[in-house]
Amino acid sequence: MGEGKSEVMQGTLDLMVLKTLYAMGPLHGFGIARRIEQLSQDVLQLNEGTVYTSLLRLQQQGSIASAWGTSENNRKARFYSITRLGKKQLEVETENWERFAGVVGRVLRQEGQ
Amino acid sequence: MRAMRGLQVFSARMRALFAQKRANREFDDELQQHLQLLTDRFVSQGMSRKDASDAARRQFGNTALLQQRQREARTFLTLSSLWRDLWFGARMLRKHPGSTAGVIAALALGIGMNACVFTFVNALLLRPPAGFKAPNELREIWEHSRHASGAGRFMPLSYPDYAFFRDHARTFSGILAYDGDPEGIIWNRSGHGQILHGQLVSGNAFSVAGVGVSLGRAFTPADDDVTQPKALVILQYNFWKQRLGSDPGILGKSIMLNGTNYVIIGVAQPGFTGFEVAMEPDFWTPLSMSEKLVHDPGRLTGRTTNWLLADGRLAAGQTTKTAQAEISVLARELELAHSDTNKDMGETLFTFAPVPGPFRGYVTAFTGMLMAVFGLVLVIACTNAASLLMVKATGRTREMAIRSALGAGRGRLIRQMTVESLLLSFIAACAALLLASLTSHLLLNLIPASLPISIELPLDWRVLVFTFMVALVTGVGFGVTPALRGTRVDPVQAIKAEAFSGSYHKSRLRTVMMVVEVAVCVVLLFSATLCVRSLLNASSIDPGFNTQNVAVATLDPGSLGYSDAKVDAFYQELTAHIRTLPGVSSSSYVKHLPLDTSREQTSVTDGSHAGAKPDGLAVDVFRVDPGYFKTMGVPLLGGRDFAQDERDRKANVIVVNAALALKLWPGQNPIGKLIAFGGEKEQAEVIGVVKTGKYRSLGEDPIPALFRMELPPRRVLVVHTLAAPGSVLDAIQREVQIVDPNMVATEVQTIGNFMSLPMFAARTTGLLLGASGLMALVLTWIGLFGVISFSVSERTREIGVRMAMGAGRMDVMKLIMRQGLFVTGIGLVIGLGAALVSARLLSSLLYGIRPDDLATVVVVVAGMTAVTMLACYIPTRRAMRVNPVIALRYE
Repeated sequence: MGEGKSEVMQGTLDLMVLKTLYAMGPLHGFGIARRIEQLSQDVLQLNEGTVYTSLLRLQQQGSIASAWGTSENNRKARFYSITRLGKKQLEVETENWERFAGVVGRVLRQEGQ
Repeated sequence: MRAMRGLQVFSARMRALFAQKRANREFDDELQQHLQLLTDRFVSQGMSRKDASDAARRQFGNTALLQQRQREARTFLTLSSLWRDLWFGARMLRKHPGSTAGVIAALALGIGMNACVFTFVNALLLRPPAGFKAPNELREIWEHSRHASGAGRFMPLSYPDYAFFRDHARTFSGILAYDGDPEGIIWNRSGHGQILHGQLVSGNAFSVAGVGVSLGRAFTPADDDVTQPKALVILQYNFWKQRLGSDPGILGKSIMLNGTNYVIIGVAQPGFTGFEVAMEPDFWTPLSMSEKLVHDPGRLTGRTTNWLLADGRLAAGQTTKTAQAEISVLARELELAHSDTNKDMGETLFTFAPVPGPFRGYVTAFTGMLMAVFGLVLVIACTNAASLLMVKATGRTREMAIRSALGAGRGRLIRQMTVESLLLSFIAACAALLLASLTSHLLLNLIPASLPISIELPLDWRVLVFTFMVALVTGVGFGVTPALRGTRVDPVQAIKAEAFSGSYHKSRLRTVMMVVEVAVCVVLLFSATLCVRSLLNASSIDPGFNTQNVAVATLDPGSLGYSDAKVDAFYQELTAHIRTLPGVSSSSYVKHLPLDTSREQTSVTDGSHAGAKPDGLAVDVFRVDPGYFKTMGVPLLGGRDFAQDERDRKANVIVVNAALALKLWPGQNPIGKLIAFGGEKEQAEVIGVVKTGKYRSLGEDPIPALFRMELPPRRVLVVHTLAAPGSVLDAIQREVQIVDPNMVATEVQTIGNFMSLPMFAARTTGLLLGASGLMALVLTWIGLFGVISFSVSERTREIGVRMAMGAGRMDVMKLIMRQGLFVTGIGLVIGLGAALVSARLLSSLLYGIRPDDLATVVVVVAGMTAVTMLACYIPTRRAMRVNPVIALRYE
């Protein structure tokens, strides 16, 4: 750490994974990690293994589904895709997040006396 | 939404349970591929292969932990990790074979004794008798008197009442009845008498019970017609097999029982041993034959002759409640129709079990007391196990710290520790089952031989479930505290400096546990000492007759239908034969022996002012022949024994005991006084006074009693022998058959054997509670020893410092001893308080000793102190030999 990177906040990884799958369509774990890395523009310190923990969690909740396919370099890979339930969840959680972020932002923006 | 998501996760995990291997492999592939792709990417960015691989690993994180987490999150507690815990637990236990064996032995004792008591509870209260169809549909029907209380208010049914219920109750599909008190029947086998046990049963008994036959047919209601009694029998399977050699042509043959020929119509199905527990009749015959079989007129007509145990099978759709309601209404009808005999008589239903309903209370109370006692033994065993595990847990602080540093959560560590303690308790449970089956059969030997009781004590599923439930509770009970304590570690602290971390806290908890253990031990030791001393007292109680050189035998020529003259002739000739036997000095007859279960009572008044006192004094009556006092060794205090000619002319003379003489004529000579019996016009003259003995129980206060003649046909032959009475038993039986080949003596035994009946309660409680006290003492000794040795090894350094500073060996000894005696002292105070309270529950079982006996208190205090000193001895010696130089260098 110490290079100005921040750690992933608890619970936000699931949301990011969901959104990535929603935006990009079916992806494998490596792809998801790359996409998040790319978008975070090296601000986030992501322990890539935790992506898989998040994927398992989401899968058990029924928010995403997985299927075996072939990756770009022609290897067998597991592709994850968002389900209808997941889309609904994404909607709800995005709203929650924006509301929360808004509140936190307002609180932090208030002027000191 | 949340609940639904929980359900989703649950079902996902459930599904995953069945696809673990594949899922694991796939996940590993996925991770490997991810790492590979990352590495490739780094290489393409210009890193060397090796650097790229390292960087990839860094970016990815801890793969091993991730795999582990993934496995755990994917499904539930996985079998594979449970196996690993078990395997690891077993290895840890094997590492300390001594303490492991100690804990297992202690637990096995505790669990085993409870399981042993439970086999009796199971056999007597829970297990339905063998051979019945759907025993849960059966209900016992008992008459009860509305004004009495206790088990004594319940009575069996009379025949007319039974017939009324059988014919009118619609809530039952059928009601069967049988003679609750089967007697010995003489089987005339080609001119020689043999004793069989027979039971009278209703004609529908086999069909209502759902018991079949292996040969021939069962009784039908038509076989049991009171107006036309039919002499038919059904044989018990084992009797047919063993005594009749499984004769396949037995049907239609006849068998002579008590002088009447009976036709054999069937052999019951194998495995069916009778309608109640412990009684195994050899044959059954219809109720209508009762007057013929037992020569007791009025059994089928008397409304006050209550002798039938009745079981009804609930009709389809009926419950105990509806049946009880109907039976109560029917009882009310009987009460109105027969107000003289059935007044205030109600009926009660009990569920069907081996021990008849009204008596289950006694069995429950006794077994409950034993369970409580052995439960306390188990508590001691548990405390032992817990303190030993805690000692071990302290030694494992470092291990726990390292495991938690490597990423094991606290829950994971607790699970590991709990698996270990459960492993211990389940091994102990297996040993306990073995112990239970051994001891329960030993206990059966305590039952007096004179009671025709045979109990089967199977280790069936109920016993297994009970034992393993106890083991489970025990395992969690003694394992949870050490687990919680042992896993509360701060890895950094513990790995840095293992030495003194938290030892103060843990040792305080250990002290509390030892105090509890000592206190429980004191309670058990106290009641054990009381019961053992009471047993010694009971054995030394003088029952008022010779308990050494007497042989007894029961005879009943009346059962063969003999006339009074023939009965008298038989007894006279038998007396002549017996008195010529070598080693016999005298013989006589008595209707029933003192301390037996039978009793005869009457009320008497002083004959000089008869009528003045309408309420007489209740006295016990013994009917005897001349020579009884001399034969039984009852001391004559004044006057004389009956004379033979008084007996022949039926003179109105009696002998009283000292207690009766004192009640009626205090300070006067009773010889020659007259006495009036309640309900008899004639008065009798007192010709002798004998010493007061024990008549109903060994612990009783003096009871007034009188001895008169006029014996019924059923008598007990008493024989005084010069040598040990065992030698004449065979001769007595032989002489009986010489005098009358059809007669058989029953209960031919020495008086010592007979005494095992009145001694039964004292012997059982003395033995069992004595055993529990001994176990408690040994276990507590082991526990104290373990804890004190551990604390000595823990304090080696401290002792070294003290010695280096100039403390002498005696000071060290005091230091260690003080710790042990402190624990024992507090335990003694708490324990004695509890013991004095709980011992009151035992007071009805104690002979000649008060439940707050001071000498017992002293014995317990001395014993407990001695045991503590003994437990401290070896550790103290070790402490005294501590070499300060080595001790200080130790760490």
